[in-house]
Amino acid sequence: MALEADPSSSPSIPTVESNLQPFFVLHKASQPRKSTIKARRKIDLSPKNSGSSTEEYNDSLRLETFQILWSNTESIIKDVMKNLNAKVFDEIDKWVHVSFDEIRDCRKLGFTSATRPYPILNSASIAAAGACSQIFTALLFTKNMEFVDDILTFADLGVYLRSHGCYVANLTSLDFSAKSGVGGCLKTLLRQFLMVDVDAPDMSILASWFTEQENCENPLVVIIDDVERCCGSVLADFIIMLREWAIKIPIILILGVATTFDALRSILCSRACSYLSVCEFTLGTPAERMDAVIDAVLLKNCESFSIGKQVSTFLRNYFLRHDGTLTLFFRALRIAMARHIYAEPLSFILRKLVGEEGAKGFDAESTLLRENLLKRALDLPSLKSRCFQPSASYADWDCGLSELKKLRRLWSSTVMCLYEVGKYRKMTLLDSYCEMLKPELCNAGGSDHMPLAKDNTMSSYNHQLHGCPQKECYVVRILQTVRDLPSVELSKLLNRWEMLTRGITEIHEKVKELQSQTTFEENRPKRNPAEASKRPTVRNHINEKTDKNTINKKVAAFLQCIIRQYIHPIENVPYNEIVFFDDVDKLETALIGDPRRRIQADLLESHKFLKCSCCGKNGGVLVPSMHDTSIMYSLAQEHGDLINLHEWFHSFKAVVSQPVPQAKKRLRQSPSPKKRKRSKEPQTKSDASIQAEFCRAVTELQITGLIRMLWNILQIQSGNAFTCRNLW
Amino acid sequence: MDSNDVEEEEFGFSRNYFLAKELCGSGKKSMRKLSEINITDEQVLREAYANIEPKHEKEIKDLVNSYKKSYSEWVFVLRCGFGLLMYGFGSKKALLEDFASTALTDYSVIVINGYLQSINLKQVAVTLAELLWDQLKLQRKSTLGNHAKDQQPLHTRSMDDLISFLDGPHLEDDECFVCVLVNNIDGPGLRDSETQQYLARIAACSHIRMVASIDHVNAPLLWDKKMVHTQFNWYWYHTPTYAPYKVEGMFFPLILTHNGNTQTVKTASIVLQSLTPNAQSVFKVLADHQLAHPDEEGMPFNNLYTICREGFLVSSQITLNAHLTEFKDHELVKTRRNSDGEDCLYIPLTSEALKKLVQEISQ
Repeated sequence: MALEADPSSSPSIPTVESNLQPFFVLHKASQPRKSTIKARRKIDLSPKNSGSSTEEYNDSLRLETFQILWSNTESIIKDVMKNLNAKVFDEIDKWVHVSFDEIRDCRKLGFTSATRPYPILNSASIAAAGACSQIFTALLFTKNMEFVDDILTFADLGVYLRSHGCYVANLTSLDFSAKSGVGGCLKTLLRQFLMVDVDAPDMSILASWFTEQENCENPLVVIIDDVERCCGSVLADFIIMLREWAIKIPIILILGVATTFDALRSILCSRACSYLSVCEFTLGTPAERMDAVIDAVLLKNCESFSIGKQVSTFLRNYFLRHDGTLTLFFRALRIAMARHIYAEPLSFILRKLVGEEGAKGFDAESTLLRENLLKRALDLPSLKSRCFQPSASYADWDCGLSELKKLRRLWSSTVMCLYEVGKYRKMTLLDSYCEMLKPELCNAGGSDHMPLAKDNTMSSYNHQLHGCPQKECYVVRILQTVRDLPSVELSKLLNRWEMLTRGITEIHEKVKELQSQTTFEENRPKRNPAEASKRPTVRNHINEKTDKNTINKKVAAFLQCIIRQYIHPIENVPYNEIVFFDDVDKLETALIGDPRRRIQADLLESHKFLKCSCCGKNGGVLVPSMHDTSIMYSLAQEHGDLINLHEWFHSFKAVVSQPVPQAKKRLRQSPSPKKRKRSKEPQTKSDASIQAEFCRAVTELQITGLIRMLWNILQIQSGNAFTCRNLW
Repeated sequence: MDSNDVEEEEFGFSRNYFLAKELCGSGKKSMRKLSEINITDEQVLREAYANIEPKHEKEIKDLVNSYKKSYSEWVFVLRCGFGLLMYGFGSKKALLEDFASTALTDYSVIVINGYLQSINLKQVAVTLAELLWDQLKLQRKSTLGNHAKDQQPLHTRSMDDLISFLDGPHLEDDECFVCVLVNNIDGPGLRDSETQQYLARIAACSHIRMVASIDHVNAPLLWDKKMVHTQFNWYWYHTPTYAPYKVEGMFFPLILTHNGNTQTVKTASIVLQSLTPNAQSVFKVLADHQLAHPDEEGMPFNNLYTICREGFLVSSQITLNAHLTEFKDHELVKTRRNSDGEDCLYIPLTSEALKKLVQEISQ
């Protein structure tokens, strides 16, 4: 970026002193920033960049697109989560109010006792208070060991209860650490209830707040979201303290439990446990939540940004085998979105696809877009392969994008229909989604032994369906399931399809037709069972079976038909590059990193990154021109887990001291005395410089954590040093 | 990580242990000793260390320059709300500071040097709040009304307050943020879990964006899933530079030196200078005693306490203990028993190095 020479805003150059400062201000903001879509200084990094205004505009456009898309996705996710938890939240809210009413009924305090600055708890008061001497506690089972997924759930629960007239404090396991003790959690409690910071936290402050301000008409709820991670003794002390104050401040507890009821017994002492009057509630499983999110984000919202088969398969595998958190999935989606918007020049069109106005409205954009559109459009592989060139008119674009939207909607509806069948085989929606993106699926559509007449109404992009995969694929299994379904289930399935496909006329009409056929079959006057039992013939059985089979076959044929028509490999869909992100390598690198493998590879294959001509030619043989630390790490690979420092040094010395054949060659060719002098250097390298290089390489390997010095051995051996690799 | 990897690692640890034991116990004759290497004089070695001829200078420069074209992408990612995490072999300090100096001029940038031993995050948070405050003042004067008069000064506020200020919804514009550039977020000064928790909370604030570098292969073990996915919200970039770890390696003793005097003096002086004047004076008392009685095992605690109390350096044993804990944490002071079985405090430096250190901190 070209920097203007503005003394007030010029960045301070880090100096040696600043290197030794724990922290320092590098520079202050040069100017007040303005909102998006505005003129701002652009990082001019490309020398070829002539139209900086275009770049500026693109930058703002990208950011705006990202913000629109992500806020849309985020709100969808939040809504999904809220809807999933709505039932449980409602139950908890009812329970809180019932419990509070119960407390109020038995809690009749005189003004003097209520305003005393100490708890009132003696045998008489307990007897009087009865059940109120126990703390009403809800255990909310999250069914999920990954607590990170439930942070939002507990925050939502807090908001929900607040909106229903409760005072709520959300506490976490960090508030119940052994270091801060009960004082720490009490401080947070006061901070959240009273909105003030108190240096000397005391329950009497809370008690006076609760009694004086007529707050006592509303329940006080404390949510602790990950009870298993709390320090047991601190939590027990907290519960004992709450119980002492139970009559004056009737706090209701909601504890998030990842495992089972036993978890509470294992972290709390029996005394604390006995003070709790427990009620249990359960949240949905992570798999259920994942299905709901996929449904809402990738299928119902399918017209906007989406992920391709490689990315979705990677995410499915990573979710199932490694991370197991929805939060990672959200982060991955966000990274994919940012990456896609940055890399795809036409991605700004996505914001048009999100909005109600559809793909229309390009005319309103600046003329800069026109250039962008046309330039990029010529390169879109999906258009190139179909030898289709969009004209400069926006009508073509509108038409193309509308078609894309339509196809995506049909695709999603088909996937949803398939998922409904997949449920009978306990398949998840993510599985169905990934399977439907596989190109071989199109072949599977024809793999069934029921050839169907091709419907060409929608098949302008249909490619030839041919071939029969040998292995039983997803679609075959689905079709078989449909054929085997009992008629009651089939009817239920059609009802669900009918609901799912509302608004998608192409599929909905056919579903209704099938539905009417099923109803007709069901309503057909059946013979009197008594009569039938009198004359049980083989023919009757066969007839019934045939009827059932006919309707099942019809439904299977319908399913096969919609798969054939609407499930296409995304690569064949025009403009797919605008919607789909499928660069799995980029996503994986940005999401996970994997520093251990990468840093090792950096050292073992340094010539690949440095792109030098001298080091990579010798097929892995160490040459003196290589980076010192690379040589050292490669040498370390040849040893076991422990390396004798002496031997290591000598191996290193042998490598760096060997003559460089290329240098010799160059010496002969080059008459320049300067070059000659330099090329001789490796041979005359002093011991001091070799030792210094060795020391630096050891230090660098220590910094990367690839080796660790075992100082105790160093001392014991008094002179023999060993180095141990692969330890922190 | 696959279960195989875990098993392999566990096996590796136990194998290392037994290998070490075996080597210690048997005292093999074949072991060649370090002393057999003709180690150069430390001064010469240090000079050579400072003047190591760089290899592949041009290629390294090209590699680092090649990242410049990614600057615009990095800025975009930051503006999208991610934290940037750079990893790969080689010092990334210069790269990150160049990125911040050229591409992040629209934002205030604060640099934290995680490779140093002691970093006070509270001070960092105060500075961040001040920078944000300045930025908000420039942007919209009307927002000041909420905070300027009725709130206490930033430097006296608690960490929680500072964090909620940094996270506050001051402006609708998401673009008002301060960048925190952390060199070596996995460095010795930031490696403990409490500091990482605070860093994560700071990174999650709406008015903060974090750019950080890691060098250690096990750095991700510092964070749990909440920190990674929701607070730091890392966007990883593999940016090997092959640049020497000049500053980062400053505090590592040279492996081939007989004693790391110079290095230790330098490290110790930096640590001492970051402590309070009273703590420095306590250290001087101990140093003076050691220099005056070089043959003794050290200074008994009670003697040190008496002298410090007389000099009004400490008011109680608790205060002295607090200073000593700090010294011990940084390995500035150690204990050993004298012939009477009394625990004595000593500074693990030679008289010469100690003199130099006292001189440095007295300046």
